[in-house]
Amino acid sequence: MASFRMRRREFLIGSAAAVAAASGAAKAAPQPRITVSSQWAAGNDGKAMDALGKLFTDAGGAWKHNPVPGGTSGLMNKIRAEMIAKAAPAASQLKGPEIAAWSKTYPTVDLNGIVAGAGFEALMPKEIVDLHKPFGNWIAIPAQVFRTNTLFLSKKAMEKVGENTIPKTWDDFNSLASKMQAKGIATPLAAGGLAWDHGQKFEFALSGISIESYRAAIMRLEDDALKGCDVLDAFKQLRRLANFWDPGAAGQHYSVLMPRFMSGDMGIIMHGGMAEGVAKFSGFSPDDYLVGNTPQNSGPPAFDLNADSFIFWQQKDEDLQEGQKLLAKTVMSPAFGPAFSGITGSIPVRSDVDMKSAAFTDNQREAARAFSEAIKNKTVILSLGQNMAQTAQITSAMLDVLAEFVSDKGMTAEAGQKKLVSAVADNR
Amino acid sequence: MWFKRVLPHLVIWPPLAVSVFYVVSYTLWTTWLSFTDSQQFASNNWVGWRNYASIIGQSKVHTAYTNLLIYGFGFVVLTSLIGLLLAVLVDQRIKAENLFRSIFLYPMALSFIVTGTVWSWILNPGLGIQKLVRNLGWTDFQFNWIVDRDMAIYTIIIVAAWQASGFAMALFLAGLRSVDADIVKAAEIDGASAARTYVSVIFPCMAPMFVTVFVLLLQFAIKTFDLVWVLTAGGPGIATALPTLVVYDYMFERGQLGRGSAAAVLMLSTLLLVVVPYWLWRRRRATA
Repeated sequence: MASFRMRRREFLIGSAAAVAAASGAAKAAPQPRITVSSQWAAGNDGKAMDALGKLFTDAGGAWKHNPVPGGTSGLMNKIRAEMIAKAAPAASQLKGPEIAAWSKTYPTVDLNGIVAGAGFEALMPKEIVDLHKPFGNWIAIPAQVFRTNTLFLSKKAMEKVGENTIPKTWDDFNSLASKMQAKGIATPLAAGGLAWDHGQKFEFALSGISIESYRAAIMRLEDDALKGCDVLDAFKQLRRLANFWDPGAAGQHYSVLMPRFMSGDMGIIMHGGMAEGVAKFSGFSPDDYLVGNTPQNSGPPAFDLNADSFIFWQQKDEDLQEGQKLLAKTVMSPAFGPAFSGITGSIPVRSDVDMKSAAFTDNQREAARAFSEAIKNKTVILSLGQNMAQTAQITSAMLDVLAEFVSDKGMTAEAGQKKLVSAVADNR
Repeated sequence: MWFKRVLPHLVIWPPLAVSVFYVVSYTLWTTWLSFTDSQQFASNNWVGWRNYASIIGQSKVHTAYTNLLIYGFGFVVLTSLIGLLLAVLVDQRIKAENLFRSIFLYPMALSFIVTGTVWSWILNPGLGIQKLVRNLGWTDFQFNWIVDRDMAIYTIIIVAAWQASGFAMALFLAGLRSVDADIVKAAEIDGASAARTYVSVIFPCMAPMFVTVFVLLLQFAIKTFDLVWVLTAGGPGIATALPTLVVYDYMFERGQLGRGSAAAVLMLSTLLLVVVPYWLWRRRRATA
């Protein structure tokens, strides 16, 4: 009897202690939880987000991804509504100058400590760093980098013209495309019919003519550069490009043209590395095409940068705050690059990721090499069409002009340039 | 007993009050915003007519309103003609009238997103009609309006007319059926041909129905957004921009609420240009 009582008392004391310990532990560190909003809903982008979710869950977090399919503006309209309701997601996808613009509208999380702890800043060029700490503090973490000015050449189309070298200058490019036309490839350039795609073609043309002019005219909006002869030449090159692509693609996404490109019915794609992700997802192999950078008339090639990032909005709940720290650490970790970029076709942000990993293709390795060289040569520029160079209002106004120019074959390069200058002046 | 008396009022007034509040207050708020420097979020800094001046100076806005004129006129005329023709045909005491009526009305039940997507394939020169006819042997056949910046707006008329003709038919049919049978008989006795009876007797009798159809279709045209969005995304270039697309562009793509609101108020004014004369006309008819 006595012994039983004894045991019972022990049992009670023991369990009370256990409960106390458990609740104490819970108070000290709640399980990190995160809610992420992104436009990466399906396809390889969706798969890449799942991979990030798995890394986060393996690190002990609770993962919730809310994809908003479509473009950046659709996502930001949803987040704007959530901001008005004071319920922004813990993290969301955002990039370029919009990080600075949106950070003025809703409080963001100061990530300085975590970024410093990870030694992250030293691993990337200044162009990326500046976008993510626009007012001196780190408020967003870059997740992946794309070389927007990547040139893909269909091997089948190249065989038709007996070529196997990547054109170096715009003259080389124009003669290659004309050769393809002469061999029966009526529209050698596989270009989508959407405004941002036209914008990209223009930025490849201008930065290929002069990197300095691109920086002055598009990134800094200097009047002299906008009115200068390099911009005029870029309009002329854009007209040539427009004559090389299929007007039937109006309103269509470039990825629709991927099968025609692979079969040799079209020969050239100029697009970011995500085109490779799309190709991989559609069942094509890297052996079907050649990869290089878009033409550069002189000097080392430009690296037309597009980077995707996560921005972190302030939260009241402690578990979400912990989740934000964990997500930032996960995205900065060396394991993230191969897991995420291996699926999307991009380049990891960290320059110290081992590109020999089986997760990457030769083409990604080539792009990563080009990236580190461009950092050395100071030829990294920010993409207009991919919303990296300007805020949405200026970008949209410029893209309108470029889209109008492309579709109106009667508009001269001079008239196009004039419209661009006045669109910038109107929306500044 | 009192409950039965109060019930109709309970059913009618609260929803009406809510919708009036909703429509009127947000219209006023949008109008207010159109005079402020609002960007991503609403602000209250008065800037006068600056947003309007900037909007009216944009070539996209000029294109949008020119397009609205072409589209509004073309759509109303084409849809009314097809609708009227269908209504007259269905009116011939045919067999399975209900079946035909349902078939012609069916497109109206489809979302413009569905219609637009399917038609964008049909009209695409590389996939649709042009390719079909070329595959049949006419290799020079051309039908590439949708990618031609001068013709693209007409493809929107075609598709919108396809969608709305059944609706016009239903209204016209109701009009035809409401014409006094004795008048029609009188015309027959006088020896008028069928065509003559329609043109000189029946159509004039249903004049109010024509006005109703025109006004309904016109306000429908001014509001068109989804169809164009899916069919051409406003392209090629900005060739098929409509005022609704301009409003969306400024408010949601560019995050310029002030200018977007100004564009929206301009659109409201266009709508009022159509609707107010109609109201006045109906009031005059009602009192006459």
